[in-house]
Amino acid sequence: MDTKSRKKALHYFFDKVVDPLGFKFTPDVELMDFLLEQEVMLEGKHGIPFCPCQPIRHDRARDMQIVCPCIPFHRKHFDAIKRCWCGLFVHKDVIDPDSLPQLPPKDVGFE
Amino acid sequence: MSDKFVRAIRADEIAPGGMKAVELDGHEIVICNCAGTFYAIQRRCGHMNAALELGTLDGPFVTCAMHCAQFDVTTGQAIAGPVPADLGNESPPPKVAAFLQHAGMQMKHIRTESIRTYETKVEDGWVHVAP
Repeated sequence: MDTKSRKKALHYFFDKVVDPLGFKFTPDVELMDFLLEQEVMLEGKHGIPFCPCQPIRHDRARDMQIVCPCIPFHRKHFDAIKRCWCGLFVHKDVIDPDSLPQLPPKDVGFE
Repeated sequence: MSDKFVRAIRADEIAPGGMKAVELDGHEIVICNCAGTFYAIQRRCGHMNAALELGTLDGPFVTCAMHCAQFDVTTGQAIAGPVPADLGNESPPPKVAAFLQHAGMQMKHIRTESIRTYETKVEDGWVHVAP
């Protein structure tokens, strides 16, 4: 499988999922490209495009919650920080993702 | 117009998001309408030769109806292999399980190859393809 083509496909299909959720791809094109490439590599290894910044625990119920785009499973936290954990997706109103505060879940009352 | 192009179908025969199979000069070809832009790909899936026009076209990506292998119609590149069958939680009957094991052994060597694409052009309301 060609990595470039797979990245293009993931971009297309992910966009359809995250757009109705109020998210968009990060405007940082270099970061987006890097993260999609990591997901293609994870998909090649595990058969599933897991979030590149989360550990795979080999616990199916938990691992399914870090399949990209994992927004529906962690919506409250992502809404509080206006981005997903790895930063591939940000709220639609975000222009500068580097300016967003990094808040752990317990700081926003989710743990 | 170059001689290599062959008149295939009228452009209004396929709605956006639709596909149609044609045979041109002995080539089995599927013409895809991606939001008004026409692409032509080989008809046979790069996985197990199923007819791709029976699948679905979503943007520039066609999904084979047989095992859900996916291809980019603009380049012909395979973007996803077959999706494993969901057999549910119940074990199949022994004979079926034996057959599935046998079939699985045969199929594990099958690779999903990229598919061929063909040049297209629209002229006078007709889609022309260079087979």
